[in-house]
Amino acid sequence: MWSFKIAFKNLIGAGRRTWLNVAVLSIAFVVIVFFNGLLDGWNIQARTDTTAWETGYGRMTHPLYDPYDPYTLADAHGLSGSLFASEIQTGNAVPVLITQASAYPNGRLINVMLRGIDPRQNVLLLPSRLLDSLPPQAGEETIPAIIGHRMAGACQLNEGDKMIVRWRDVNGTFDAREVFIAGIFRTTVPAVDAGQVWIPLEALRNMTGLYGESTMIILGPWVTESHSMPRPGTLLEGWRYEDREMLLQEIEDVIKAKRSSSVVISVLLLGIALLAVFDTQVLSVFRRQKEIGTYIALGMTRLKVMFIFTIEGTMHSLLAIALGCVWGIPLLKWLQHTGIPMPQMTDQAGLAVSDKIIPIYSMGLILTSVLLVVISSLVVSYLPARKIAKMRPTEALKGKLI
Amino acid sequence: MKKFLLKGILHDRGRSLVPVFVVAIGALLTVFLYSWVTGAMGDSIEMSSNFNTGDVKVMTRAYAAEADQIPNDLAILGAGRITEQLKNRWPDMDWVARIRFGALADFPDREGLTRGQGPVAGWAIDLLSANTKEPSRFNLPGAIVRGAMPSQSRECLISEELASRFDVKPGDSFTLFGTTMEGGFSFTNYIVSGTLKFGSAGLDRGAVILDIRDARSAFCMDDAAGEILGYLPVSYYDHKMAVAVQSRFNADIKEFAPDEEKMFEPVMLTLKEQSGMAELVDYSKAISAMLIFIFVAAMAIVLWNAGLLGGLRRYTEFGVRIALGEDKGHIYRSLLWEAVMIGCIGSLAGTAAGVALVYALNVKGFDMSGYMQNATILMPSVIRPAITPVVYYIGFIPGVFSMLLGNALAGAGIYRRETARLFNELEV
Amino acid sequence: MKYMNIRIVIYGFIMCLLPVCTQPVFAQQALTAEDVLERVDRNLSSGTRIVESSMTIHGRRTSRTITSKGWSQGDKRSFTEYLSPASEAGTKMLKLEDQLWIYTPAADRTIQISGHMLRQSVMGSDLSYEDMMDDRKLSEIYTARITGKDTLGGRNVLVIEMTAKVNDVAYYRQKAWIDEERFVPLRQEMYARSGQLLKRTDLTDVERIQNRWFPRTMVYKDMLKEGKGTEFRVISIIFNQEIPGHIFSKASLR
Repeated sequence: MWSFKIAFKNLIGAGRRTWLNVAVLSIAFVVIVFFNGLLDGWNIQARTDTTAWETGYGRMTHPLYDPYDPYTLADAHGLSGSLFASEIQTGNAVPVLITQASAYPNGRLINVMLRGIDPRQNVLLLPSRLLDSLPPQAGEETIPAIIGHRMAGACQLNEGDKMIVRWRDVNGTFDAREVFIAGIFRTTVPAVDAGQVWIPLEALRNMTGLYGESTMIILGPWVTESHSMPRPGTLLEGWRYEDREMLLQEIEDVIKAKRSSSVVISVLLLGIALLAVFDTQVLSVFRRQKEIGTYIALGMTRLKVMFIFTIEGTMHSLLAIALGCVWGIPLLKWLQHTGIPMPQMTDQAGLAVSDKIIPIYSMGLILTSVLLVVISSLVVSYLPARKIAKMRPTEALKGKLI
Repeated sequence: MKKFLLKGILHDRGRSLVPVFVVAIGALLTVFLYSWVTGAMGDSIEMSSNFNTGDVKVMTRAYAAEADQIPNDLAILGAGRITEQLKNRWPDMDWVARIRFGALADFPDREGLTRGQGPVAGWAIDLLSANTKEPSRFNLPGAIVRGAMPSQSRECLISEELASRFDVKPGDSFTLFGTTMEGGFSFTNYIVSGTLKFGSAGLDRGAVILDIRDARSAFCMDDAAGEILGYLPVSYYDHKMAVAVQSRFNADIKEFAPDEEKMFEPVMLTLKEQSGMAELVDYSKAISAMLIFIFVAAMAIVLWNAGLLGGLRRYTEFGVRIALGEDKGHIYRSLLWEAVMIGCIGSLAGTAAGVALVYALNVKGFDMSGYMQNATILMPSVIRPAITPVVYYIGFIPGVFSMLLGNALAGAGIYRRETARLFNELEV
Repeated sequence: MKYMNIRIVIYGFIMCLLPVCTQPVFAQQALTAEDVLERVDRNLSSGTRIVESSMTIHGRRTSRTITSKGWSQGDKRSFTEYLSPASEAGTKMLKLEDQLWIYTPAADRTIQISGHMLRQSVMGSDLSYEDMMDDRKLSEIYTARITGKDTLGGRNVLVIEMTAKVNDVAYYRQKAWIDEERFVPLRQEMYARSGQLLKRTDLTDVERIQNRWFPRTMVYKDMLKEGKGTEFRVISIIFNQEIPGHIFSKASLR
């Protein structure tokens, strides 16, 4: 304890020098925490948004459904029978029917997916309630639809506009109708937006003649928690179960890649800060030989002296963490409050990127960063202090160079 | 005096070595960081540039209007001539023609009848020319799962998932059933030379990469190209440079297409003008500016600290010099001059080392695959630090200025020294 | 994904089938719609047919013309060979019942179009492989009634409306303008179940061939999209000539 005390006193006694080092180290510490918090925040935001808008907490899909092969849609539908029927009744699960169609906004042809969903559903964040009513000016035959803002932009559609949609029913008969854009929603999840037109489920079932059928059943949190679900990827009553982790795998992969790039930046930043500590340590050992000699003359072992010097250097990191807390906590809290604005972009991986990311600083993240800073400064403090072990006390006392 | 000081620095290594070393390391780190951040923060932009947008892209006006539909019937005709002209005008840029397409891949059984088929998205790029940079732009060598790069005409790469779904091995052949530029049937047989991991579920389901010469003959696109992409002679996207190229090209447009209909005349778009890239470019710029500011500030503090330390450890010397009757102002000025010199020497050495390192990494690329499970096309494992003119001077900012500032602060103590105390220190 | 233009080539194929399936018929005084459709049938329908035709596709940039020769027997078997341009020459298509094969000399492969692909109007284009294979007689699919008289292209026409009586039909409702004298349709419109007009076909250059009236030119247009449509022209046509059975075999593809 005594050595800690003396190391601390020495450090504080050095004044300005110490605080400069501590300042730099604290910047490194806070930035590392921030960076990783940003990635964690992004990860969680992408997962939360994808869950809330697209995947739910898991889903049962028709075994022929393949999200990347629209050809399969013609066959990927069926009656789900008793499968989660009561959950669908109570609104804890929502069936969705998907059909390929062509939309003709302003004389152009765009391929779309018609997605039928219960207007009263609560499982996904889609503003499906807007599908429940039509304004009086829309004709009897008109179908209310909601689309995402990307889709709206691509088709140059506004709320209240109409466009013709053409599809084929179960027998292959063409049908075409006007849809009325009852609402345009903003979402970070491109999968429910780009090229998707959401209409009432029963309307789509009637239009296609697929009465009572669906392509998938999206499950709410309550369902997956209260039921013993089968192994992901296996069939339950003829429908394939996909759990949340399976559906969010792609997000996980992207974040992993981003994280590796941020590791380099963290390492470099920490490197700069440690250079300062290292520099100070070298000078301390060099300048304070008389002091070292005195310690040894007073009966301390060289190891003990080395220990004191190492502790002194390492204590930079402790002070840095303390200082980092002083200015970092308010700053990071503030950034958490305001969020980090992100550009509107369609990410190459189709990942959900919110226009704002709320960084999330987990206990684990903070502890890891603390350990990283302390251990690395311990190492750079120890390296110059090793010299002490080789000093001869008499020479040291005289302040002679080693 | 300056010459004398320089001599002192050069000869008295004990006095100068540590500070020079520290400044050099600092400058090196700054250079490296700057270059890394500029390169790595732009990774999404670079990926877009490599994969999709180029730094600039030439298309016909009509094609550009609906580029997301890949309307090859609106492709550039006379692409060879235009590419040639582009190469003559901007010889240091890389100009490449590409064709993107959608098709049906049909895998035959032993009798040559259809065994299975699936839709594919395709890229036709220059795979086979001697000095083509396209495979590395697509990170093809790194993303190959089985087999090898195509080495001759009629060989292609397909996504691993497609290959395993239809039980296809490298060496097997299949037929690509697509549409010619004019809307006719296109059937061409290809040999799978290797399989790829794209890293995007959609593309992994079905994608194919083949040589552009093959695509041209398959889709009757002789001397045509969907798009001609231009790559600036720098490894990151420099918007100013791109705009300069663009404005000259668009001013010269009449040379290229004097008689053709306006719809089909080539237009050049910069990366930033293409699909939602503008905000990404601005955003990356802002983030890297912020990061660089933090780094340079941190580095400045470190070196200031080093300067301060350097000044402090020479208090004894100053004491002696004052005692010998040297003017305090003179000592202070000489200290500052020394700081500038040490800063310059250190920064020079550090910048030289940093630039060399960055160059090496820029050429080789920094392979991050150790951190990553699998390299894919869309998630390249190699990051290249960017080399911009800034790397040559950014190291001097913390190196010289901070050193000077640190020494100036430390040296301020000289004026506070009492002669009486100086003799105390002389006892040593 | 852009193999939608495959359809354009297929039109050629349709052309050789079309007269089989486009059989609106007619009669003179107090004709019922069924009579009319039957008279049209007599003009357009035949046991076998060998047609050489050209098809002009108006692209956004260029127009191109493809010629082909087709052999067909009833509504179940047909075989088409493309003659020009050079890039298409030698491509053959065989349709037997509900199966379709395409052979191309370029790849020297026979590719079967089946499953989802048949139903697919890829990229939402106007025609699918299935469309082109649906060649049942109109009277089998639709109930018809005469709704009025009109003139079209200087000819007196009867207007007939047809509503599907079976489920598996591409167009729920059709409207046809049929020459009152010659019993040849001069215009056909296809409607969605909702009443939305989807497509229009104009048939002109009606000529006397082998004792029948036959439209030599047909312009096909998707009414939801902008564009000039696609034009078919019959170069020569022979009705009811014996066609050797081997023509309709996979062996003839190669």
